[in-house]
Amino acid sequence: MEKTGPFEFRQCVNIIKSTGKKAKTLRDLRDIIAVVSEEAIFHHIYHYFLKGHILEYTSDFAQWAGESIEERVLSEHLSNIDPYAFLNINDLRAELLRVMDDYLDAFPEPREAMPGEEFYFNETITLIFPVGIRARNLAEFLIALKYIDPGSLYYHFYDARMRLGGGTDDFSRWFEDALGKRGLAEKIRTVDLFMHSIEGIREHMIEAVEEELRRDMEWRGIER
Amino acid sequence: MIAPYAGIAPMGDILLLQKLGEKLAGRSFLHINSTRSGGGVAEILGRMVPMLRELGIEARWEVIEGDEGFFNITKKIHNALQGNPEKITHEMWERHFEINKKNAEGLDLHADAVLIHDPQPIPLIEFRKEGKWIWRCHIDLSNPQKDVCDYLTQYCKKYDAAIFSVAKFARALGIDEFIVPPSIDPLSEKNRKLTYEEIQATLTKFNIPADRPIILQVSRFDRFKDPAGVIKAYRIVRKYNDAILILAGSPAADDPEGEAVLSEVKELASGDPDIHILLLPPFSDRDINALQRTATVILQKSLKEGFGLTVSEGMWKRKPVIGGAVGGIPLQIIHGATGFLVHSVEGTAFRIRQILNNPQMGIRMGETGREYVRTNFLITRQIRDYLAIWYSMENKGRSILEL
Repeated sequence: MEKTGPFEFRQCVNIIKSTGKKAKTLRDLRDIIAVVSEEAIFHHIYHYFLKGHILEYTSDFAQWAGESIEERVLSEHLSNIDPYAFLNINDLRAELLRVMDDYLDAFPEPREAMPGEEFYFNETITLIFPVGIRARNLAEFLIALKYIDPGSLYYHFYDARMRLGGGTDDFSRWFEDALGKRGLAEKIRTVDLFMHSIEGIREHMIEAVEEELRRDMEWRGIER
Repeated sequence: MIAPYAGIAPMGDILLLQKLGEKLAGRSFLHINSTRSGGGVAEILGRMVPMLRELGIEARWEVIEGDEGFFNITKKIHNALQGNPEKITHEMWERHFEINKKNAEGLDLHADAVLIHDPQPIPLIEFRKEGKWIWRCHIDLSNPQKDVCDYLTQYCKKYDAAIFSVAKFARALGIDEFIVPPSIDPLSEKNRKLTYEEIQATLTKFNIPADRPIILQVSRFDRFKDPAGVIKAYRIVRKYNDAILILAGSPAADDPEGEAVLSEVKELASGDPDIHILLLPPFSDRDINALQRTATVILQKSLKEGFGLTVSEGMWKRKPVIGGAVGGIPLQIIHGATGFLVHSVEGTAFRIRQILNNPQMGIRMGETGREYVRTNFLITRQIRDYLAIWYSMENKGRSILEL
């Protein structure tokens, strides 16, 4: 995306593919995480945010450990892993394994999942496409923000952190580089993305952008 | 065909359909199943094929023909895949193949992509021409009879890919396996908006009072749908709350136990004027729609379930839905957000009481459920997925595709 031109909204859609692998126990889960494709790890960690609702934890692995085998201490540990703090998937995989190994050392006989409650490893094929909406200024951006699909918010806010690195997202970067709004960019960049659903992020952003627009209009009034 | 979905389905789904349509325009897409009418597959195909054509794709829908003996065999195969014990003899498998061979001689199997629906036409893979061949399994494969599953696997492995409704139905086949949940059509007779008069007509027809909370379960009278458990839960609720119960469905004609289950349910309900057992004839979609729109709480208290699209139907009508935590139901109900997942009669009664006593919570769940279905379980999403799978197979090896 152009850093200084209009903001062009894009969207991603995922097609789910089964890996054919499933875990019945925590040890199975651990052993499969050790060898499964990077796409599968990516799907079960990062795409969790795309589900559009807040579950109790912050990844499919943590959710399964907490809900299906009721190892809630492990769920808390897994939920505390910040996937955006890793430069690549294999570093994230190593951290998942470290947390699980520590837990298995302390609690060597965790529960088994009931039949039908096993963990099924999937991966995704992601399709990315422009949605045909461009914002040239903050007011146009605000209108678009209210109506874009959650998949578009995910792409620009969550997925961007992996694409761009450095803890930033497409929105913040555009606010700063194209509009010169460093304060607004900082406000959006520092939103705790683990504590909001996608719709929560939308509301938060609408509020911040509206406030910025109001301030801009008031300043224009004073300048006159 | 697509325009009426604008403003209903997510904008991104319609856009992606159009973009994939541009990529695949002029290519041929053949669907083959075993019936032109009746059942969810035929219903979806009837709507999907014209939509694909509108996108510029040369879509065709063919139906294999067979005699009663053939369909008795395929029914047994279907039941065995769903876990019922069945004996499929060598002669039966031979006949399954021979009928498909005969059909292959009469069908034009040339296409860029061929989607074979369910096990009835699965042997057609032996007669493949060019193009990508995909087997679409709509059946609950969570606990199949092993020998039957193994036999069909020989055919599956010859396809380029398979599609299952739920991840836990997928098998390790050694080919690409995609997960595509089924969907509802928001414009169909069962789900479209109804007028006040249309709803009233249904209530009058079945003598349903509109001034009391309604607990509703729509399903076949089948033990796996647990209608007896629903009545027991209702009896617990009635100790605390005023409400009527409606059990609406048709007797399962292909289930020898259907009549027995219906008799048991009637006996269990006897003497209670607040329990309405409605035997609906086929093609009662508008009445089902009206009943769902009138309900205060919708149940799908299944003990075993394929996907259970009645859950999405209820959620689409902004109703809180309480469902058994089995099959595809947990994929549709977000516990505590769009309804509740339950594991017992007592749990069902407790959750019904919670909703009856907190109408605002029911409204909130209904709104969340509607949006969840809009995003995940509409027909436009299912067609989008089929085209995306076909397109991804043409770009094999890439996990990110930019359009």
